[in-house]
Amino acid sequence: MDSEYIVEMRNITKRFPGIVANSDVTIRIKKGEIYALLGENGAGKSTLMSILFGMYEPDEGEILIRGKREKINSPSRATELNIGMVHQHFKLVSNYTITENIIMGQEPRGRFLGFLPCIDIKRADREIADLSRKYNLEVTPTDIISDINVSTRQRVEILKMLYRDAEILIFDEPTAVLTPQEIDALLDIISGLRDSGKTIILISHKLDEIKRIADRCAILRRGRLIAVLDVKSTDTKEMANLMVGREVSFRTEKKETGFGETVLEIDKLTIHNSDEFPVVRNVSFKIREGEILAIAGVSGNGQVEIAHAIAGLMKVHSGDIRLYGKSIRNMSIRERTEAGIAYIPEDRQEMGLVLDFNLKDNLALKRYYRDSFARKGIRNNTYLDECGRSIIDKYDVRCAASTETIVRSMSGGNQQKAIIGREIELGGVLTIFVQPTRGLDIGAIERVHKQIIEERDKGKAVLLISLELDEVMNLADTIAVIYSGEIDRIAPAKELTTREVGEYMMGVGVHDKAGEVV
Amino acid sequence: MNKKYDRVIVAAIAVFLGLIAGAVIILILKRNPISAYYSLLRGCGLAPKVKYAGGKNMLSDFSSFLDYMTPMLFAALAVVVAFKTGLFNIGVSGQMLVGSFLATILIGYSNIPSVLAKPLVIIIAAAGGGLIGGLIGYLKYRFNINEVVSSIMLNYTASYIIGFLINTRYVDPVSRQSRDIGANARLTLHQISIGSYKYDIPLGFILALVAIVAVKILLDKTVLGFEIKCVGANREAARYSGIKVGSSMVISMLISGVLSGIAGAVCYLGYISTIQPKVLSPTGFDAIAVCLVGGSSPVGILFSTFFLMIISKGSTYMSSQMGLEAEIASVITGLILLTSACSAFILERIKMIRRKRGAGE
Repeated sequence: MDSEYIVEMRNITKRFPGIVANSDVTIRIKKGEIYALLGENGAGKSTLMSILFGMYEPDEGEILIRGKREKINSPSRATELNIGMVHQHFKLVSNYTITENIIMGQEPRGRFLGFLPCIDIKRADREIADLSRKYNLEVTPTDIISDINVSTRQRVEILKMLYRDAEILIFDEPTAVLTPQEIDALLDIISGLRDSGKTIILISHKLDEIKRIADRCAILRRGRLIAVLDVKSTDTKEMANLMVGREVSFRTEKKETGFGETVLEIDKLTIHNSDEFPVVRNVSFKIREGEILAIAGVSGNGQVEIAHAIAGLMKVHSGDIRLYGKSIRNMSIRERTEAGIAYIPEDRQEMGLVLDFNLKDNLALKRYYRDSFARKGIRNNTYLDECGRSIIDKYDVRCAASTETIVRSMSGGNQQKAIIGREIELGGVLTIFVQPTRGLDIGAIERVHKQIIEERDKGKAVLLISLELDEVMNLADTIAVIYSGEIDRIAPAKELTTREVGEYMMGVGVHDKAGEVV
Repeated sequence: MNKKYDRVIVAAIAVFLGLIAGAVIILILKRNPISAYYSLLRGCGLAPKVKYAGGKNMLSDFSSFLDYMTPMLFAALAVVVAFKTGLFNIGVSGQMLVGSFLATILIGYSNIPSVLAKPLVIIIAAAGGGLIGGLIGYLKYRFNINEVVSSIMLNYTASYIIGFLINTRYVDPVSRQSRDIGANARLTLHQISIGSYKYDIPLGFILALVAIVAVKILLDKTVLGFEIKCVGANREAARYSGIKVGSSMVISMLISGVLSGIAGAVCYLGYISTIQPKVLSPTGFDAIAVCLVGGSSPVGILFSTFFLMIISKGSTYMSSQMGLEAEIASVITGLILLTSACSAFILERIKMIRRKRGAGE
């Protein structure tokens, strides 16, 4: 008899340098169910599914497909086993037609003039049209990818899997890029796929979606499997609690201080991304001296864009940013640094550091042009070195060759220490921390939290942007919750509970906004 | 562990492998590769020839060799500077042409005394080259036009316009090239008699050494150089740190163009004294290869230029002595480039051997 489970992943452990992405995770998926993987960013959901799809090999553990032990060492092996995956970022050739994208690699062959081998594109078009009717995935096979919208592209990705006879369909946060109406349509499609006998694995951190369509739900936290729940009999609040995992919270000592003058004032800020889509809409808040304002929210809801706009890396569409009452909207990035804005960016390696430069140069990246660092355009190596050394000592940056260490060779945690040290030593008036503890170990996290509090106690204004609810609850004096580019709730931290903040973050707060979004 | 040391070793290994491959080809042609390579050295005045023509000796061969390699030093340096900002200046030849053409018509045909004329030639050529280089940088910064495309197109534009001007105004009816410039403006002291021998003395060579040191200082010691390198190493981080990425690119292309312009001056108003219409100098393109072999470092290109120019310059003598085609030299150069392009692979191999040794102990 066939096994009850179509997919079994037993005791999977996957380590990356400095981080355990999956630790002894076992999941069993039944044929014909929608199985959701729920967890915060970095909880290990995507890694687990990448292992199933053959993109990584597990360090430990085994995978059984239809009860048979399989070694899945490449995506093509996964395809042979009828596993398909829709990635968060679509993998389509934008100047090819829908048909061409779908058949790529498995083209139906024909004979041109009876003997020349060619692709039978007409037959392919017909096949795709049939397939799209069968599963209710409306597309016009001859359309060019660059001419169609995001949700149609996603349908193309789904058709790509179905064309390859996928039975087990993995969706990696499929709704992240869609509008509410498109989400509704997609969820209907996914339910339809299940009804026609497919097995679905859905990676998500949106509780309402899981509640709507999933049968069972596995919750991952920091690489470990926390629980497997029957979705029907569990309410979203319980899922949220398990996902965020309050019991691991560690309190950071924080003494009460009074707030001073207003340092940063964001006034009706609207930011458009490169597609002219408003990613931040009409956001206003203030941060005073000695205040930590934390923006809580699920990744990709516009919080990083706010930080970029304050630092001058992104253009403001409308609204104003004021520092001590003075508009900085038209200032250059460097003028803003000089005005006292320090910025610890989310992307350490691509933005925060020049990986191929040594530590000394990286530690002076925001100050190298100042008088003591350079005289008449000639760099003062001795001073650069001294200054680098003092940051290394003060912030406990571990590095092999002191100031001469090439930053690429350092661990992620130490790279982050270097950035934080550099930015704090600028001695500004406003410090922006974006995801400051992502990927760090517990000890390093604690240290960063202390540094954030210290900044506040020095009377600086601190803007903290974090996806970790714990972090927000522990550190913030004021919490602003952002959901799809708008601040839904802003209040003193004392007046909010973790549960409330979590609900606002998920967009399942007091009001449903599906109707008002374009 | 030392990175700089590694780079030198890798370059040496690459060159050595290229020479071995070249030797195999020479063997296939039934010649002795060692004497072929030795004849390359002889052709450049680095080893004594069996006999010399009248007025020639080893030193005069060597000074001609220095004269020959001077344009390449500047051209390769131009490629290095652009490369540090992450830009690919494939328009060195066009910039050489514009700079040297302006210097030719403004100074080359004048009677200005030579103490004044020679510096003016360099200044005008530098300005002309810098103008074109800066324009390429500006197009990149302002309109995001890929520098490779704009520099290739400007190469042709410059070549045809200048070709037209030479053919209509400055042509020598016999040679069909631009008229010879005066000795007052020429940067090479041509056929100077010292004792019973005649020498070509390249004044530009000294300037090239100065330029190498200057570029090294610029890149290693100055704020401007730091910004240029930062833009090249990580554009996003450069922007984040407040560097004006666009103007850094324009400045670096401007400097690259200035060096190209001087390369043009020491070529067309030094090594030779005329411009052939509608022909782009291969120096500008070979400079990219020289830069690659030299590990795109200012000091590195001094050695790679020296080395590759021996092969190129010595090929004439090799062909006459060995009965080998002069083109064999290009084949050898090509093989060396091929092995140099594999330098990342060689570096990985070195590291792997080290790791294995480390594990074995």
